[in-house]
Amino acid sequence: MSEDKQKLINDAVEKALAGDADAVNNIEDRVTRAKAKAALVKAQREQPKKEDSNDDASKPDEKEPPVSNNTVQKVSASLAAKFPKSLDGEQNSDWIQLKPENWFEIAKWLKDNPDFYFDSLQCNTGFDLGEGLLESRYNFHSMKHLHCVEIRIRVSAEKPDIPSVESLWRVADWFERETYDMFGINFTGHSDLRRILLPEDWEGWPLRKDYEEQETYHGIVVPKVKEGWE
Amino acid sequence: MTVDYIFDFLTSLLDGLIGSDYLLLVAMLIPCLAIFGFITVYALVVIYAELKVSSFIQDKVGPMGQGVGLHAGKWGLLQPVADALKLLLKEDIIPSSADKPLFILAPFMIFIGAFISFVAIPFGDSIIVADLNIGIFYILGVGSIAVLSLILAGWASNNKWSLYGGMRSAAQIVSYEIPAGLSLIVVIMLAGTLNMQDIIKYQAGGIFNWIIFDNPFMPVAFVVYFISAIAETNRTPFDLPESESELVAGFATEYSGMRYAFFFLSEYANMFVVSAVAAAGFLGGWHSPIVGIMDSSAWGVFWMINKTGFLIFVMIWLRWTLPRLRVDQLMNVCWKVFLPLALINIFGVAIWTVVFNS
Amino acid sequence: MGVVHGQEMVLNIGPQHPATHGVLRLQVKTDGEVISEITPYLGYLHRCFEKHCENVSYEQVIPFTDRCDYLASMTMNFGYVVAMEQLMDIKVNDRVQYIRVIMAELQRIASHLLATGVFGLDLGAFTPFLHMLRDRERIIDLFEMTCGARLLYNYMWVGGLSHDLPKGFVEETLRFLDYFEPKVDEFENLLGHNKIFVERTADIGIMPAEVAINYGVTGPNLRASGIKWDLRKDDPYSVYDRLDFDVPIGLGIKGTVGDSWDRFYVRLQEMRQSINIVRQAIDKLPKDGDVHQSMPKKIRPPKGSIYSRTESPRGDLGYYIESDGSDTPYRLKMRSPAFTALGVLNEIAGGWLMSDVLAILGSLDIVLGEIDR
Repeated sequence: MSEDKQKLINDAVEKALAGDADAVNNIEDRVTRAKAKAALVKAQREQPKKEDSNDDASKPDEKEPPVSNNTVQKVSASLAAKFPKSLDGEQNSDWIQLKPENWFEIAKWLKDNPDFYFDSLQCNTGFDLGEGLLESRYNFHSMKHLHCVEIRIRVSAEKPDIPSVESLWRVADWFERETYDMFGINFTGHSDLRRILLPEDWEGWPLRKDYEEQETYHGIVVPKVKEGWE
Repeated sequence: MTVDYIFDFLTSLLDGLIGSDYLLLVAMLIPCLAIFGFITVYALVVIYAELKVSSFIQDKVGPMGQGVGLHAGKWGLLQPVADALKLLLKEDIIPSSADKPLFILAPFMIFIGAFISFVAIPFGDSIIVADLNIGIFYILGVGSIAVLSLILAGWASNNKWSLYGGMRSAAQIVSYEIPAGLSLIVVIMLAGTLNMQDIIKYQAGGIFNWIIFDNPFMPVAFVVYFISAIAETNRTPFDLPESESELVAGFATEYSGMRYAFFFLSEYANMFVVSAVAAAGFLGGWHSPIVGIMDSSAWGVFWMINKTGFLIFVMIWLRWTLPRLRVDQLMNVCWKVFLPLALINIFGVAIWTVVFNS
Repeated sequence: MGVVHGQEMVLNIGPQHPATHGVLRLQVKTDGEVISEITPYLGYLHRCFEKHCENVSYEQVIPFTDRCDYLASMTMNFGYVVAMEQLMDIKVNDRVQYIRVIMAELQRIASHLLATGVFGLDLGAFTPFLHMLRDRERIIDLFEMTCGARLLYNYMWVGGLSHDLPKGFVEETLRFLDYFEPKVDEFENLLGHNKIFVERTADIGIMPAEVAINYGVTGPNLRASGIKWDLRKDDPYSVYDRLDFDVPIGLGIKGTVGDSWDRFYVRLQEMRQSINIVRQAIDKLPKDGDVHQSMPKKIRPPKGSIYSRTESPRGDLGYYIESDGSDTPYRLKMRSPAFTALGVLNEIAGGWLMSDVLAILGSLDIVLGEIDR
């Protein structure tokens, strides 16, 4: 790579880190632009994350009409009463943060409790917070009371164990397999935790932010530098 | 009978020069070659007809060319020829784990089964290759060779899907031969003979002398026979053995090129045979529907081909309209519906004949 | 009655197979013709959609969402755009809303036509499939008139649309609807009430309501089990709360509630309702309004996350978007309805015959692009 190009990339990355994202986006040559973006991501990972102070007053929107702060606060209050040790840190008005230890009992209680009756697990998202922390986020919905709640469970990347709720909501079977496949979160008690979207013998957890592709797969070289692809 | 005429003709021509055994052999071979040629031409015509009829039903255009002329113009008449050429030129693949002798034998057997039924089909007044005394019985009998070859094809391919297809088709054909045979018994009862030409001669005299209008049980017998015949030839709604969407191509999955063509050539040949038997047994054979109009011996072939062709058209029509039946529903219909109907028919016709002495 | 058990055979349906709606491998354990267990193997069409979205900007995600469920691209765009507009708190004008509803409902008709046609094709009815495709071509012509593409539209953008309606669109659409409305009755008679079709699908693959909810099945599959749940009515987004339509549910007309015939019938009825909705939306369509009015120059949502659901022809389409304030998403997850529909296959298809399994798979209406992403 020539000196000029490297200098161009460095300049663009500096400007982007200072807040001007267009510096990277406006690079003409496609390959150089891609390299600049990769370098930017790398630099951002190494730096502590900056708070973005663009839109000061706008808070993140509510999820959807049936969800209101009331539901989250009600559930949060009941959980604090019944399982006081499982609330993890500061609570937010939009979601509930839990510790992974008692998750199965809490889930069972959430499902069977007639006030809440969350009989439908809408979505299970894996999440990489960076700094070696993973999260599993559950969106629940009740067909009877028509309210929703979001629950987040944080674990560390070294020991990512979360109890599986597969026996309560059968849809969690495949959702948890997918989260395991992409993030490596180990759902204990799952009957058949194996990869679902990737081949069984793939190595690595792709959706983590620090994922590096493996060198070869069954003898085929996995390309890392995508130069010259037309 | 055709062989007789040719033998007589050749004897009168070459009397004494060559032994009469050889002349008999030649006299037998010539009609067989003619039948072979007829099957080939018929296959091309019926493939084209199937494509065009299906296009009209499905709101498509079907075979069509771009240029001028019938073959490449708006009718696309050379399409079946192109199909045949393509199948001839394809690579002949035999899977390495298949049972080679049986794999190669199966298409031949099924074609033999279809081909030798043709010798007893009456095309006209004296145009029949072998006027056997047991005509109908013979046709029904040799039609069962197809079952053997389908099982062979399914087994020899060493493929679980083909095995499924072969098993299903064996069960289906064997089961449906029973109502078909029983429905033909009423025809034999009325005509009093197994000979094909005599059955047709029994129906002389215009449309209302045809066996199908003879008594109220006859249309029922015709419908039972026709539907059983569709089942025997593996056409939709009974085409589970070769169902495209489920078993890829059923027993014929591993076959390619000309071997595959043989399976489907014999399916079309079978269609002709069963339609011809239905036309001869129920619809008056080579007689014209109105006495006096076009009913000389020369028109016999025309009427026979037309009636058979109409029944083939109905088969094609049904194929593109109805979904297919599941295996156990197929068997249900055969054993619980058609078999009792056919038996009731036999008794009914017998009693009717005795009572009304017709 | 004694039951004879032979040896269990393990068979593979797919990945290359005419009837599996995409590249799907089903491993079935059979005893003769009776299936004891089905294990789907996915991932043949996995294209790393979620990882891609973390590297491209928010506008560039929209063509990717097109390609997930390629048979219902408009509704995939719609779901994403609704989620983004909630996250960024953008209000679009009425003309955009009504045009979006028209496009989404036309897309729903097209998708259901294909779904029911392919269902018939799997059962051996070749002709209704071609008739339905002919009608779907007319809808695709309407789309081509608007945005130039036949299958993957990239039409709905955050804050607006890519193109306004062309001249003559409204007349063409009304002409199509008048032509199409009697065709739905024709399809119902040709395929739905055909005795062979009824025998192949009634009482097959019954999905009880509790099983459906527990397995996360949504959309027409859930409605066929008797539960009246439609996101357009129960959780309205866009202008659906101003439109008046019915939500058809399965009533067990030909067999039990929740069998394959009900799933087919619910889709037919939904086509009728969509025709109704399109007519109303065309009536209420405001004549003026700029479709590019509310589009932000640079899409940079505030920090936060959102989970939003819309109704795609296959069920509840959910987008979970988390933004960290930059112009590429930090995490974008698409909750696809066909994923959960495939998950319920083993539960409802055990104990049936091989041909029934393909009938049940056809009635669930899956698209592998959405499942594998």
